[in-house]
Amino acid sequence: MALVLDNLSKRFGGVVASENVNITVPKGKITGLIGPNGAGKTTIVNMITGMLAVSGGTIRVDDTDITRAPADQICRAGLARTFQNIRILPENSVLDNILIGFHRHERCSTLSALLGLPASRRETAAMRARAEALLERFGMRHLAEYPAGGLSYGHQRRVEMMRALASEPEYILLDEPIAGMNDVESDALAVLFRDLADSGIGILLIEHNLRFVTRLCEHIYVLDGGRLIAEGAPEAVLSDPAVLTAYVGGEHA
Amino acid sequence: MLLQQLLNGVVVGGVYALFAVGFNLVFGVQRLLNLAHGAVFMTGAFVAYYTVRAGGPLILGFVAAAVASGVLAMIIEIVCFRRLRKSGDAEFGAIISSMGAGMVIMTFWQWVSQTQVLRFPFDTVPVVIYRFWGLRVSLLQLLMAAAAIAIVLVMAWFIYRTAFGRQVRAVTDSERASMLVGINPNRIYNLTYFISGALAGAAGVLVGLAFNNINFTMGEPYLMFGFAIIILGGLGSIPGALMASLIFGMVQTLSIAYLPSGLTTAFIFSAMFLILLVRPNGLMGREEAGSLRGRR
Amino acid sequence: MMNLLLGYQPLLDLFLLHLGLAYAQWLVLRAGVFSLGTVGLAAVGAYTGGILVVTYGLPAPLALIASALSGGLVALALSVPLARLRGIYQAIATVAFIQIVLSLNIYATNVTGGAQGITGIPKTVGTPLLLVAGAVTIYLMYAITRSRLGRAFDAIRQNEAVAASLGVSIVRHQTLAFVLSGALAGVYGALEAFHSYALVPSQFGFPYLIAILSYVVFGGRTSLWGPIVGTAVLILLPEVVRPLADARMLVFGILLILTINFLPKGIADTLIERARGRRLGARRPAEADTAKGS
Repeated sequence: MALVLDNLSKRFGGVVASENVNITVPKGKITGLIGPNGAGKTTIVNMITGMLAVSGGTIRVDDTDITRAPADQICRAGLARTFQNIRILPENSVLDNILIGFHRHERCSTLSALLGLPASRRETAAMRARAEALLERFGMRHLAEYPAGGLSYGHQRRVEMMRALASEPEYILLDEPIAGMNDVESDALAVLFRDLADSGIGILLIEHNLRFVTRLCEHIYVLDGGRLIAEGAPEAVLSDPAVLTAYVGGEHA
Repeated sequence: MLLQQLLNGVVVGGVYALFAVGFNLVFGVQRLLNLAHGAVFMTGAFVAYYTVRAGGPLILGFVAAAVASGVLAMIIEIVCFRRLRKSGDAEFGAIISSMGAGMVIMTFWQWVSQTQVLRFPFDTVPVVIYRFWGLRVSLLQLLMAAAAIAIVLVMAWFIYRTAFGRQVRAVTDSERASMLVGINPNRIYNLTYFISGALAGAAGVLVGLAFNNINFTMGEPYLMFGFAIIILGGLGSIPGALMASLIFGMVQTLSIAYLPSGLTTAFIFSAMFLILLVRPNGLMGREEAGSLRGRR
Repeated sequence: MMNLLLGYQPLLDLFLLHLGLAYAQWLVLRAGVFSLGTVGLAAVGAYTGGILVVTYGLPAPLALIASALSGGLVALALSVPLARLRGIYQAIATVAFIQIVLSLNIYATNVTGGAQGITGIPKTVGTPLLLVAGAVTIYLMYAITRSRLGRAFDAIRQNEAVAASLGVSIVRHQTLAFVLSGALAGVYGALEAFHSYALVPSQFGFPYLIAILSYVVFGGRTSLWGPIVGTAVLILLPEVVRPLADARMLVFGILLILTINFLPKGIADTLIERARGRRLGARRPAEADTAKGS
């Protein structure tokens, strides 16, 4: 049971953006994907999340093939994500931002939603309660009614995280989750990610920050020029000459 | 008969080109639709009419119409779009704002003309018919074709061969980058809108002459045709708009000749829907990446 | 007193009829569909109702149901090309749709009465029925807003990528919003036909589209109050300021430009936002952040 990329490739016309990438993200573990700027990380993310057509290879979530599935079905297969550049719903309150995360689990019929029947109202109330519980866990209960667009950067990141968790995913893809954060904030998130993995969620962590990745991940993949150049335990990977070459002049953090 | 219709179609298409190229030019530069373009077009016809009625020669009316329409389009950009563009979400706003501007201009000409249909004096363009190879061409048609070709050529030269044209294309690529190399984007926008409006105004005069019918609702169908043309040609593509205008002019003339009257509009727009069904970005438009409506 | 109220009855009727179409427009915009085709769908409903009652002698309530269905079905058919388009292209396609309906109504003289339209429609709709219709409409919109549908619409409108990443099917929800909007427009088109004896094709053209858009843009595109406030103010304004009555379209045009530039969220949405700001104002987010303790 894992999120598996099998021989994944992407070509734009004649240009190869990814070639034969094999990645396995097991449940309950944090798997890292690193690489210098322009290594092709974003292309991989876009293919997994259904934003970009796959040229070759397959992507599977457990036993479900999501290679050609549209973005919404990928979520339904149990894979949630956060975005590299924060994307919240700025007009909505923090609570409403999280409520939308429960969409995958809403069961009431379209008709009862249209007519405002008790089933729909009960469901909305239940989702609210769960959203409030999440807010409590993240220490943001007091901000529930604030418009999400006016929050600080760190809080917006957490709203995004809560929203992804609300969909109760089996796997979660974190696209540079600590970009722009200070050490205190990122340490707090590290603890949180550890907790998530311990609760059985498989995490694919795409990061720039090598220190952060080596501290958290059991297994790391290194991407350069669209190809995997190394994989394995953090210490082994970081002493790999190919990886050092790729990162020379890059941002050693 | 068919050949004659095709010839008529090419002339009509030339006038559409004047209208649609300006419409599309603005879209290409700012990614905004100017829904007041039909009203700008109409303004050209009215200005030429009042110039001629005041005793001016037609050529003066033509120039006055182009200048007035150009200035009007420039004002529309400054009043309706400039503030919106800075706010970010201008796509929807521009449609609303320019729709409002179109309404204001229409009401203005309705007042001025007191809701009357205006006609040029009888011999504004002498009625002369030339015949060759069994085809009939009127002086007016020749005039229309010549004017359309001349204006489009001058514009193409302007955009593709002059410093101004390079600046327009630079601003189209990136407003910020062009500012860094010392281009003032607002000046470029003013000029682009002026050109776009002047083209529409010229088209207005030609259409006013051709049908000898000037009224405050005459812009509406042309705005609709403009839509169909830029869908066909691809939003923002000038050569696409040119091609599409000619095809459109011919299709329209043929369908008027061979389809039950009254169905032409329905036919044209249904064809447009079919095109959109197959090519969501227009017949010659480029695909845009990152679709969430299914992978392509 | 009674006379005064009676004097305003036509205005109330007009308000209620336009309010329904304003909500039809509001609903699609809320789901992030860039449709301007509301009056075209209203025309479909109005003609369906008018023809069924006048030509086939159907009772008005049955015809009303048929109008809702026809509006919804035409919207469903339209949603196929619309689902493949984005932003501006949706706007263009729906405006073209209005034009198609208009020219078909003029062309199919045998069925629609051509340019003359349909006359002699029995007047079966009065103020009480319109009040009921208005109340039902507002309730339905309220129910949608508070349901999973409303949440999905909000997410799609603000960020399609986010919505999709959370499992919201963009195509399915936008289609649903568009079909509901079409059915609503169909009903109100028919109500208008049954309210006014006669129907002409040009009734459902550009000026009507601009009026409906003005209500929604001026009132507000997000909150439930938007269409109510917008429609009420813009219908009352020319009555209160008499000289404006002759220049209704000029006023709408200027208001559209001013609103979208200087009050882009519309009156109601802006006021609601201010009220929320004041309510939370005691603790600004920044202060609340530091005050959280743990």
